[in-house]
Amino acid sequence: MYVVVVYDTLAERNSRILRTCRQYLHHAQRSVFEGHLTEAQLRRFQADVETALDLTYDNVLVYTFPPGTVPQRLEWGAVEPAPSDIL
Amino acid sequence: MPTAARTYWLTSPCRIRRKDQSLIIERENADNVHIPITDVRDIVACAEVDINTSVVSLLNRHRINVHLLSYYGDYAGSLLTSETSTSGETVLAQARTAEDPKASMEIARSIVDSCAFNVRRVVDRKLLARPYKVLQESIGGARSPEQLMGAEGTFRRSAWEVVDTKLPDWLQLGGRSRRPPKNAGNAFISYVNGITYARLLTAVRLTPLHSGIAFLHSSMERQRHSLVLDLSEMFKPLFAERLMLRMAGRNQLKEHHFDRESNQAMLAEAGRKLVVQTVRDEFAVTVAHRSLGRSVAYDELLYLDALALTRHCLEGAPYKPFRIWW
Repeated sequence: MYVVVVYDTLAERNSRILRTCRQYLHHAQRSVFEGHLTEAQLRRFQADVETALDLTYDNVLVYTFPPGTVPQRLEWGAVEPAPSDIL
Repeated sequence: MPTAARTYWLTSPCRIRRKDQSLIIERENADNVHIPITDVRDIVACAEVDINTSVVSLLNRHRINVHLLSYYGDYAGSLLTSETSTSGETVLAQARTAEDPKASMEIARSIVDSCAFNVRRVVDRKLLARPYKVLQESIGGARSPEQLMGAEGTFRRSAWEVVDTKLPDWLQLGGRSRRPPKNAGNAFISYVNGITYARLLTAVRLTPLHSGIAFLHSSMERQRHSLVLDLSEMFKPLFAERLMLRMAGRNQLKEHHFDRESNQAMLAEAGRKLVVQTVRDEFAVTVAHRSLGRSVAYDELLYLDALALTRHCLEGAPYKPFRIWW
């Protein structure tokens, strides 16, 4: 399924979350990641992220989209180009 | 095949490094790209790639194969992860089938027949009707894989001639040549064949089959995945010949896409990118599969064919090599 992950954490923990997200998803914006994950990968991701968080202060939002669909994305400004599989 | 991951194609020289338990691709004249490791199914490197131990161990942990194409675009080799789907029983059954001259000739014969069928289907049904008939007769009487390969060669030669009549002058093959390819047309075919071979190797590695035990090609050769050579026969026309005719017909292939020197040719960087893009999109095209009752991507057809062969060796289920049915 397609997921969009948004996080809001204390600055000193940001890099840790960033690193975890990079293993699973493409960087879209400073604290926004997106990409395809399977159910199992999402669960593993959750477990990984939780170890890096202070659950009393930080939070992570995950938007999931039904399998087979990709959300339409409107963009303005200096957008990072969408990740391609041809490099 | 895992669905949430994709194949990554590297078309410009780069270095793959490990960063944050994931991959980062460093390119000379472009930005670095972070790739989430879970998004990678396999990597096809069409340009020079630097890689080091820490990357290899990460790739191995995530079961990711890297296929390397050489400077001239033919298959150069692979970094394969250690075998996962092992099954001694399957390998023994495969070896038994290959050792049995009758059983292995049966498979080899149907592979050659399907290959020719597909070539005829994508090139020209009418003009190749006679050569195809001749081929069917001669494979009926063939006693050894060598004779089969000979018959296939004859058929292929007439097919290449027909292909030439449909191509612009500069792209004509004038006979198949490899290592290095003599002209632009041959360079294109070699390149796409190399990609097909690489993707098939990934597919075979998902089954317990041994990639060295073959039926049509000689199992004797060292350091070659003979079984992958066998299986790629049927798929080559689907990608190489078909895409070449299509891209030439649509005027997509241009002379500047190739670097040509006397007596050898290769795809230039822009051409490489174009071809890789086209092949990548082609792998994602889906068709309705009759017996599965769902649509299947071309990419998956490779895997299904390898599975069918597994089932043939293990259970004796009839093996019908892939034929274009649409």
